[in-house]
Amino acid sequence: MSADVTLENITVKFDDFTAVNNTDITIKGGEFFSFLGPSGCGKTTLLRVISGFQEPSQGRVLIGGNDMTGIGPNKRPTALIFQNLALFPLMTVWENIAFSLEVKGVSKTKCRKRAEELLELVAMPGQGDKMVNELSGGQRQRVAVARALAAEPEVLLLDEPLSALDLKLRQHMRTELREIQQRAGITFIYITHDQGEALTMSDRVAVMREGVIEQVEEGTKVYDKPVTAFVASFVGENNAFHGTVSNILAAKIVVSTDSGVLEASPAEGSSLKVGDKAIVFARPEAMSFVKRRNLVKNVINTEVVHQEFEGHFWHLILQGVNGLKIKMSQINDGTTEVFEEGKKIKVQIDPKLAVVLPSGPLAAE
Amino acid sequence: MRLWLKKFFLRNGIVLSLYMLLVTFIWIVVMFVLPQIFMFDFSFRFNWTQIDPSKIGSPEDIYTLQHYKFLLFGSPNNPDPLNIVDVTVFGRTILAAIFVTLFDVILCYPVAYYLAHVAKGSITRLMMLSLVVPFWINELLRAFAFRILFGEEGTINNILLFLGVLNQPIDFVRENIALYTGLGYAYILLMIFPIYNAVESLDRNQIEAARDLGSPWWRIHWRVVIPFAKPGITSGCTMVFMLSAGALALPQIIGGPSSLWFTQIIYQWFNTGSNWPRGSAYAVSLMVICVILVLLIMKIFKVKFGEIGR
Amino acid sequence: MSSAKFLRLVTSSYIILFFAYLFGPLIVMSITAFNSAAFPRLSPWDCFSTEWFGVLVNDARMMGGFKNSLIIGISVVFVSVPMGLAGALMLGQLSNRVRPVFYTVTISTILVPGVVLGISTLIFWDRMGMMFNAGYDSIFYDGIVLTIIGQSTFISAYTMLVFISRLQRFDPVLEEAALDLGATNIQTFRKILLPFLKPAIGSAAVLAFLASFENYNTTVFTIVSESTLTTVLASKVRYGINPSISALAVIIIGLTITAALIHEVLKRREQAREIALKKEGQVGNVKTLSRTAFRKPVTLMVLLIFVAGLSTVWMARAYDVNQCKIEVSEEKRKKQEELSKKRLLEMQKRLESQEAASANGSDSKSSKTAPGTDQYGSIFAPTNLEGQVESTEDQKENSKTPKNQYQNIFAPTNLEGQVESIEEKTEASKTPKNQYQNIFAPVNLEGQVKSEKE
Ligand SMILES: Nc1ncnc2c1ncn2[C@@H]1O[C@H](COP(=O)(O)OP(=O)(O)OP(=O)(O)O)[C@@H](O)[C@H]1O
Ligand SMILES: [Mg+2]
Repeated sequence: MSADVTLENITVKFDDFTAVNNTDITIKGGEFFSFLGPSGCGKTTLLRVISGFQEPSQGRVLIGGNDMTGIGPNKRPTALIFQNLALFPLMTVWENIAFSLEVKGVSKTKCRKRAEELLELVAMPGQGDKMVNELSGGQRQRVAVARALAAEPEVLLLDEPLSALDLKLRQHMRTELREIQQRAGITFIYITHDQGEALTMSDRVAVMREGVIEQVEEGTKVYDKPVTAFVASFVGENNAFHGTVSNILAAKIVVSTDSGVLEASPAEGSSLKVGDKAIVFARPEAMSFVKRRNLVKNVINTEVVHQEFEGHFWHLILQGVNGLKIKMSQINDGTTEVFEEGKKIKVQIDPKLAVVLPSGPLAAE
Repeated sequence: MRLWLKKFFLRNGIVLSLYMLLVTFIWIVVMFVLPQIFMFDFSFRFNWTQIDPSKIGSPEDIYTLQHYKFLLFGSPNNPDPLNIVDVTVFGRTILAAIFVTLFDVILCYPVAYYLAHVAKGSITRLMMLSLVVPFWINELLRAFAFRILFGEEGTINNILLFLGVLNQPIDFVRENIALYTGLGYAYILLMIFPIYNAVESLDRNQIEAARDLGSPWWRIHWRVVIPFAKPGITSGCTMVFMLSAGALALPQIIGGPSSLWFTQIIYQWFNTGSNWPRGSAYAVSLMVICVILVLLIMKIFKVKFGEIGR
Repeated sequence: MSSAKFLRLVTSSYIILFFAYLFGPLIVMSITAFNSAAFPRLSPWDCFSTEWFGVLVNDARMMGGFKNSLIIGISVVFVSVPMGLAGALMLGQLSNRVRPVFYTVTISTILVPGVVLGISTLIFWDRMGMMFNAGYDSIFYDGIVLTIIGQSTFISAYTMLVFISRLQRFDPVLEEAALDLGATNIQTFRKILLPFLKPAIGSAAVLAFLASFENYNTTVFTIVSESTLTTVLASKVRYGINPSISALAVIIIGLTITAALIHEVLKRREQAREIALKKEGQVGNVKTLSRTAFRKPVTLMVLLIFVAGLSTVWMARAYDVNQCKIEVSEEKRKKQEELSKKRLLEMQKRLESQEAASANGSDSKSSKTAPGTDQYGSIFAPTNLEGQVESTEDQKENSKTPKNQYQNIFAPTNLEGQVESIEEKTEASKTPKNQYQNIFAPVNLEGQVKSEKE
């Protein structure tokens, strides 16, 4: 069973501080949906609103079409996996998992049986009698998932559950979570400030900044076609060239920047006008060496600062006009030459891959 | 308030909310605040129960200041300008309580510091435990022990006589030495724990740093440790002062025959004097003065009430 | 360097003195319980005896008071533990503005003198009784009920403090997790919060019982016509004391130490577990380590107490109290006789000299009264008075002359002889003293620490 979740006009205020502002969003049943944003942007708050721990100052939550206003967290068809997991330290693993059944009055043997099934599901068979503190970080994580699934929720809410794990384990758990979601077939609402996590696992991603959702789309779209400067700078790496719109062409916008006049594609539904302040975003892989001498369009002059080798990529750290830092990536096809520091090179930006967005706040480095 | 109640009920559910509200209400209001108010009220009434019980609640049952006047000036035909007996007892009780408090601070501070920063591991635990044990022995038994020690034929006199320090036993009880040491003894724990808690949270590096700068040990204590432990010291002093001013058993048993404790006078009004309103007036006076003194101390040392009892 | 050493020496002797102050009175009192003398004292030591325990048990008033104290203590536990818990939970949910006020009020119950609490409780329920026209046999005037109420008023604050410190370590997210998994508020309370608070409930209960059991100031007002152990004790101690009270003290001290030790061990275990909860993986290690570190001194103490108790019992059996008593009184009688003989002789001498004087024709009146005043003077001298009071309690000692007795006893030769013989007979009762000496002697301490580390 899975249910869709609709947030209508949700605002959460703590005294004068607005943690979530006017959020409208619909999450489809069975979807793996992620909220992505920097620390303190209101992700946990939003999740607490959905699970019923936080009364919104305004707006309402619908789950499976039912208004959840005034319904306590223990009556909602949601299960939350807390940021710190919140496993019960005085109970064994299986008691933790079976807690939701126990409080419903299910008999002990049935509880035990169900716990074993779920342990199997999360690849931890036969470990039910351990105490929580005897588990490794990844195992705790899986127990938390099993405990949440035992409640047979229609919506599973996960609050940065992987943040405490090391990289290797995190990558492993990502695939595992995704598999569990597909097997269980329920709606997952996943919170993270790690864009890699969001992009690899989710069907759709919502990028948040300071309590506001800036973009909701599939991961690839968010990456390739960001709609705000913040999204462009927060998701993946991006080079930003500040400037002013000087001309608007059919499928291109011309922006004059300190680094020169640059052409790039507009975002979907762009409302930029000539004279507006704008930023051209070009990802490292949208840059290339100038092959033909006479080409002058979308070319910038740079100086090599540093060159890094990373397996199938070469990364070049360059310095542009006014000390602007630029990153460029080249696929390692065996032909890339090695530059010495301080060498002046010309770099071309692919106007199809670069995007122009209205000027706005960027993500902090 | 209503918003808070709504949130409260939402968070705890009806049963638990009612339990918490009801029980704290009974405790604070019915068991503590109301009785205090009633006592206060009672201290302004005539002693009708003894004079004429049928007058209670009648129009004649009016307020009077006679009991407070009695505390200050004695009975109307008292020739002296003041009720010398009661007023001196009152003053002496307060002074003696202050003395006992000071005695305890001086006695306990080094021990608390020792426990917090010098003693180690399980020895500290054992010492703490041995601090707790005498505290939980019945107050009367403690008094009794001091009577055995300090009696004229008591152990201390015997030892001193035997050693030849004295050739005549000292009457420790008459001199109130027994009482003061007994009171000091009774509240050691209440002084040590707050100081210990405060001192313990002091970063050892701070002491080391001061030592590196060449401060002598007494200076380190005076400038670093004691200021840091101030809330704990004040908290301990407050408790010891209040409790020794309000002590009853110890003065009754090892107090000198010529020096009453104020609580004993209160007790007499209730017991043999059969004048409850007057006893209440005396109790109210004692409490008011004590509270004023404590608030004064806290003001002087800039310690908040919330830091007490931690 | 030497100054640091000196400082350390001063510190450790201070600590030792401090603990001597702390335990000296209790130890002396405990020892007097085993002296057969009718007045609780260390010296002169008459006979080792456990008869005072018998006297204690057969004291109906004391036992009645003890029973009431038990009833009150247990009831106070049942009242003040839930009350303190409610207060502590409440405190956590109040807004920042109200919280300090609430805390101040609750803590005031401890700071207000016990006498005042007792009086106010008494008056309040008296008034209530009047309001409801209740008779004097109703609960408004029932000393036991009033005492439970009066004591709970401030004991609840003690328990509240215990719960507050425990709750500070509680992660409220756990409650949310339980709610989220479908538990009701009550289920969450029962299955998550209560198990977490369990050790604190135990501590609070012990604390509440002890506080109730030893309370006097409040009880003496609220108890009305009933009596508790403390009020019986108070009247006993005020009007003449005897070693059966020391015997009671021995029992209570023993029980308190045992309770404190058990409590400590439980607390230790709990802490070890908590440390283990935080440190994943190496659970077993942490637990055993910290437990053994504490176990040694504790087991040592328990063992010593046990041995002391056992040997006391054994001694008491093997040794005939009456025999000793007869010997002692015989000895006293002999001394007495000698003394009176001496006195007689002196008197005779005096009389003779007086007669001689009067025969010489000087003022006979004044010189005749002289011996008489002398005698009275000595009787009312403070020392003699006490001696007399005592001797009325003990018929056999009745006829002795107090002053002389002192002289004899404190003649160094006599005393030493006595002390020696006592030591032989009562090794058992002295063990506690030795035990403390062992524990707190710095040399031994260090040794202990070392052995623990190993
Ligand atoms: N109970 C509260 N009272 C006041 N402010 C709060 C409360 N809870 C959260 N906030 C504030 O709301 C903002 C959003 O908090 P939230 O916990 O939702 O952030 P987050 O996006 O989950 O961050 P992180 O990634 O660090 O977990 C923060 O600035 C926080 O300080
Ligand atoms: Mg968060």
